[in-house]
Amino acid sequence: MASVPPPPNDPPPTLGSRLLRKERRVVAGLDPQQLIKYFFGANSSIAIIVLVLIMAFLLREGAGFLTTYRHELEVYRQAGLEFCDLADRPLQHQRVLANALRRALSIEMDPLTKSARERRDAAFLLKASVEEKTSASRADLEHALEQTPPPAADSLVHLREVVKQKTTAAAAAAEYPDLFTSAEKSRLQNELSELSPEVSDLPPFLQSLIAEYSTQDQAARSKFAGIISTGELFEEATDPVVEVLDELKAHATETKEQATEYFTLKAGRQQLLDAAATATDPERKAALLAEAEASQSDGVNFGERIESILMRREELISKLQEYCTALEAAFKEMPEQSTTAEATALVSEVRHAIPGHLGEIHQAVENLKNWKWDAPVAFYRSLGAFFFGTEWITNSSWQDFFGFVPLLAGSVVISIIAVLIATPVSVVAAIYTNQFASDREKEIIKPVIEFIQAIPSVVLGFIGISLVGNLIKDFSEISWLQWIPGFPIQERLNMFNAGCLLAFMAVPTMFSLSEDALNNVPRAYIDASDALGATKLQTVFRVIVPAGISGILSAILLGLGRVVGETMVVLLVAGNRIAVPDFSAGLGVVFQPAHTLTGIIAQELGEVSRGSSHWQALFMVGIVLFGISLLVNWCARAVARRFEPHKA
Amino acid sequence: MSADSPAIATPPPVVQVRDMDFCYGASQALFDINLKVEYHRVTALIGPSGCGKSTLLRCVNRMNDRVTGARVTKGEVLVKGKNIHHADVDLTQLRKQVGMVFQKSNPFPKSIYENVAYGLRIHGEKSKSVLDEAVERSLTHAALWEELKDRLHANALALSGGQQQRLCIARAIATLPDVLLMDEPCSALDPISTLKIEELMHQLAKEFTVVIVTHNMQQAVRVSDYTAFLHLGKLVEFAPTEELFTNPREKLTEAYLRGTFS
Ligand SMILES: Nc1ncnc2c1ncn2[C@@H]1O[C@H](COP(=O)(O)OP(=O)(O)OP(=O)(O)O)[C@@H](O)[C@H]1O
Ligand SMILES: [Mg+2]
Repeated sequence: MASVPPPPNDPPPTLGSRLLRKERRVVAGLDPQQLIKYFFGANSSIAIIVLVLIMAFLLREGAGFLTTYRHELEVYRQAGLEFCDLADRPLQHQRVLANALRRALSIEMDPLTKSARERRDAAFLLKASVEEKTSASRADLEHALEQTPPPAADSLVHLREVVKQKTTAAAAAAEYPDLFTSAEKSRLQNELSELSPEVSDLPPFLQSLIAEYSTQDQAARSKFAGIISTGELFEEATDPVVEVLDELKAHATETKEQATEYFTLKAGRQQLLDAAATATDPERKAALLAEAEASQSDGVNFGERIESILMRREELISKLQEYCTALEAAFKEMPEQSTTAEATALVSEVRHAIPGHLGEIHQAVENLKNWKWDAPVAFYRSLGAFFFGTEWITNSSWQDFFGFVPLLAGSVVISIIAVLIATPVSVVAAIYTNQFASDREKEIIKPVIEFIQAIPSVVLGFIGISLVGNLIKDFSEISWLQWIPGFPIQERLNMFNAGCLLAFMAVPTMFSLSEDALNNVPRAYIDASDALGATKLQTVFRVIVPAGISGILSAILLGLGRVVGETMVVLLVAGNRIAVPDFSAGLGVVFQPAHTLTGIIAQELGEVSRGSSHWQALFMVGIVLFGISLLVNWCARAVARRFEPHKA
Repeated sequence: MSADSPAIATPPPVVQVRDMDFCYGASQALFDINLKVEYHRVTALIGPSGCGKSTLLRCVNRMNDRVTGARVTKGEVLVKGKNIHHADVDLTQLRKQVGMVFQKSNPFPKSIYENVAYGLRIHGEKSKSVLDEAVERSLTHAALWEELKDRLHANALALSGGQQQRLCIARAIATLPDVLLMDEPCSALDPISTLKIEELMHQLAKEFTVVIVTHNMQQAVRVSDYTAFLHLGKLVEFAPTEELFTNPREKLTEAYLRGTFS
């Protein structure tokens, strides 16, 4: 820049002379001022360079995903797996409906058989507990009986005596529930006292209880014959389709395996050829080339192999149509009204789902008719399958799918829960600390909240598993809280649990930054408000908080950034179920387990082979995660700028 | 001393300071102050830096209450005849009666309208028509209405420095206070803005009573009817402005006015 060139006639100065010449000290064409400037500049650009390198690395690893995945989808189509799935997907829905019917049936039957079942189970429990209490002496007797030669008769008599005595005592000590009348209780006690390892028959009273149950069960079954027969018809209706489909699936899988093998060999051969091309030793080169030649194999003729699937297209379609007819027939016999509300709800749910299901099948038939094995897979398809795919299935013997939606949904729901919980807590705490707390309180509150940051997240995960999960579960079973959607919960490890812990982790960030924002509200605003006669509360809520709102919003966003990127807690606590949460459960959806963007990378990256499609898919997830973090941070800055009051 | 000059019988002073001592913790800032501020007059407080002008001004609306350890140790301050330190004085009501304008303009980061309406809102006014009317009246008083009537909902921080200070005056008079305290309201402004505010002062005095702290002697002459000269926490001389400037009674005042101050 401002370096002064040496006068034209001077001989070019050596480095040493340059350094020694004090009047015009120039090092490598630059004066020291500039050198220092560049040194500082270089240091500050290191961060930028590293960031760019990280992005470049992520993109390089992830970009290959689109072609790899597209190739896999191509094989999926050409081998006929896609064809099978066209028919199979709607049938999976049928399984869900069949389950609902089964559940309805058990709800209906339960009250009818309940008393007999409980009596039977209680009696068996009593028997088991008596046997358990006398197990030591019973074991002695059994042991003696098995001995060859048999021990002396009187020792056996003694052992029997001991067993008899203990059993009688245990039977007398047992508590007989009020399911039994007092006559039954004494009968039961008598029979239990007679228990001995030498008698294998059940005591007669227990036998009668079993009989009692089976008559009630029979009665119930005949009463609900309607549902039962519908259910059976419903379940059997798919059998012919499944039979055909299974054969087709087997064939398609075989094609796919051949293809996989071929492509693996091809890749191996390419490696050999590459090695040969760079090899310098001619002998070695020849050996490599020979090896490559030997691994030459024919490609898979998809067209030929698909024929045997296409041949049966009509058959599959007609089976599907038969299934539809069978289904409709089964539902004609379905009883309209059930006895319990719950069962009625389930049955009507199934009934309402049936037209949709039939539509699905008809659609599937259409798709099967139009399906072409050699239709090209468009490039954007792999991108679409990633960003809109609802299935993340890996290491499958059938087909791997890398659909990103379940992971994104998990991350988003968990983050929303965390932010919704953490925001009020931290903002209110910040307002209190900044405006109302005494100096002593400030001295306590601030370090304590900031200390939360120091807790290792794995420890929090630990707490989530051992403590929070149980707490939520216990809460969800309190009877007067049952109005809360999703209660009682099924899983201890769920999105709500993870959200609570992440909220806890986000509080220090949100609190400290919000507190700073409030602190930065100019003193002059407060003076003005006070001088107008505002009360403390009025000043806080009408002047200070509105003036600090940009800082508070950006604090919330930075907290969100922290939540989105957090890995350990979600991995441990979110339940790791890879499925799109069932949003039809309303707000109760938060009590479902889920997997997350961060969790999946942490969990799977260590186990996949480098460069495979799975590996690349995980990098794609990483790229998206990176993008989300950048976006959140950018928003935080934009908000801070957007609402920033012009500095007065 | 002229501060002890016989009280004019009618009308009674709107602010009266009697024998007041004031301390910031252990250090005493004001000594035995006596001062009467008449209705519809402009009273100026002058004196060298650190002599206690702001402290005295802030005693009138008890803004010093927020400083820990600051308190009146002797004497009393009466506003409209009522001791403002009396237990049943409501601080918010007192501050509604005694408005204040600060040295540095400090409009809220809200719209012009909301700035002016703020005082009424915090005192419970909700009616839109009352607020509209008050905003128009106050802005007119502050000579801003013509300039700003079309952009009442623009952010107040987008205004020029002089406009912002006049907006602060409008905000302070929206609640119709009896007294308006101004602590060096022009010291951060350019000459033209200063001139506008000085013109305003005469208008304001018709409706309100103004107490102004100023470092600018010419300003005191131009705007005020009475002037009080403070030195080292003591009120040296208090007299009609013309009298004080042309014919000061105290040597100290004369020295200060002539600029030969040791
Ligand atoms: N908050 C405070 N705490 C302690 N002492 C204070 C405080 N405010 C002012 N003082 C002291 O009280 C005295 C009077 O201060 P004051 O601000 O009233 O002076 P002033 O006349 O307004 O000066 P200036 O013209 O520079 O504004 C000074 O000695 C100052 O140091
Ligand atoms: Mg001052």
